[in-house]
Amino acid sequence: MREVAIIGAGMTKFGRSDLSLIEIMSEAAIRALEDAALGDQKVDSVYVANMGAARLNRQTAIASALVDQLNLFPAMAEAVENGPASGASAFKNGFQAIASGMADVVLVTGGERMREVNNLEATDFVASMSHPQAEYIYGVTLPALAGMFTRLYMDRYGVTAKHLALVAIKNHANALKNPYAHIHQAITIEGILTAPEAVVNNPYIADPLRLYDCCPVSDGAAALVLTTREIAEKLGKPIVKVGGIGQATDTHAVHERPDPTELTAVKIAAQKAFQMAGIGPQDIDVAELHDAFTILEIAESEEAGFFPKGEGHNALEQGVTSLGGKLPINPSGGLKAKGHPVGATGVAQLVELTWQLRGAAGDRQVEGAKNAFACNFGGFGNNVVTTVLMREE
Amino acid sequence: MEEKVYGVQCKTCGKETYPAHAVCPNCGGHDFEPLEITGEGKVLTYTDVYALPLDYALRYLRLAIVELDSGLRATGQLVDDDPKIGKRVRTTVGVVRETGGRKIYGLQFVPV
Ligand SMILES: [Zn+2]
Repeated sequence: MREVAIIGAGMTKFGRSDLSLIEIMSEAAIRALEDAALGDQKVDSVYVANMGAARLNRQTAIASALVDQLNLFPAMAEAVENGPASGASAFKNGFQAIASGMADVVLVTGGERMREVNNLEATDFVASMSHPQAEYIYGVTLPALAGMFTRLYMDRYGVTAKHLALVAIKNHANALKNPYAHIHQAITIEGILTAPEAVVNNPYIADPLRLYDCCPVSDGAAALVLTTREIAEKLGKPIVKVGGIGQATDTHAVHERPDPTELTAVKIAAQKAFQMAGIGPQDIDVAELHDAFTILEIAESEEAGFFPKGEGHNALEQGVTSLGGKLPINPSGGLKAKGHPVGATGVAQLVELTWQLRGAAGDRQVEGAKNAFACNFGGFGNNVVTTVLMREE
Repeated sequence: MEEKVYGVQCKTCGKETYPAHAVCPNCGGHDFEPLEITGEGKVLTYTDVYALPLDYALRYLRLAIVELDSGLRATGQLVDDDPKIGKRVRTTVGVVRETGGRKIYGLQFVPV
């Protein structure tokens, strides 16, 4: 298998966009291609991550449309739909194409334009990932599954509303240092939890989860250019190596899991990525975790092996996962504050980590970051892709 | 006609699953018979959902995962003004969604 390196990274500012889906994705792709400065090297293959174009934007075959916009003919191209894990899935496909020798230069672009429809339609679109007969018909949404997960987690492990709020406060603070983030708003424990007006400012969405426990609905795109280590060296690029990728699946209906507080697919995917990279969770300097709901950052930090099960909230409270802590989690602001254009998210996590490993993350830079970890979480944990990136001198 | 909710029982090994799968998770068998999802159990977890999907004109929807005494678990609507983890409930079947003028029947858990 050939070694694979990231040589270009770019994204759009997440939030509400007036551009079409293909225009948003083009913007991110052009930034990544300019960053890669390929010269005479041509893009051989394009992977596009997206979940909802057919339903939200009434457009299909979007990989062909993107190639057309970018004039990348006759590159191979296809779209990857894998729910909210589409981004890292597309990245995995790009990795495989280069590792196998099928392609030398790959463009991975993830994008979503969710705000083309109203909130009700967007919620229902995301809920359509749930089991059609055993979950969806009851009015189950992703926040509903997360709410039931959170209640059980609190009951079993002593996680409190304060811990959930601390995730949101940390990630909002990080997003203030990220010009690409959807939400630029400092929040406090008083404002979202303890003050009398908190019940109005921060109402329940799916109790015990409140508004500030849930990611916003965002438009946006992110893109990466991958190539072989040899070509990366020839282009004189700083080497951000793809150390390992892991992926695992779990039951569609959450209630069928032997222990519904365990995110087994996160655990297995992380173990596989670490094994492939030849390092362990203790070697990671910075992580981007899929905090579509605050509880997920805590739970994933445990399943990935950074903290023992049931102790992630203590590490959070002690500041271990804050910028300046031993293992900063979601320096970008995470899905919580950077935003969650579903198809873009997995790619955007890796864009952030590429910048972190290059020392180019500005005010949110994790000093000396050498090894990085991302968790892109599909469905309610039924399809998870994890990635280890490594900086080489 | 009385509406019911069904899972399956594997004809080869007897394993019960809800919802149904095409392949038995226990023995790999392909032959099943319908298994009515009914009985008593306890609330494993629940939530009140305020951000509702399409088709609901309510302030919130109370949902739960229930562990039946048979060991099977099911997700459904919880019809109880005083929900608690571990509380005893039983299954009933009612209209859980109406979409495009069509009534969809499913599990509604009520206190025992
Ligand atoms: Zn069987």
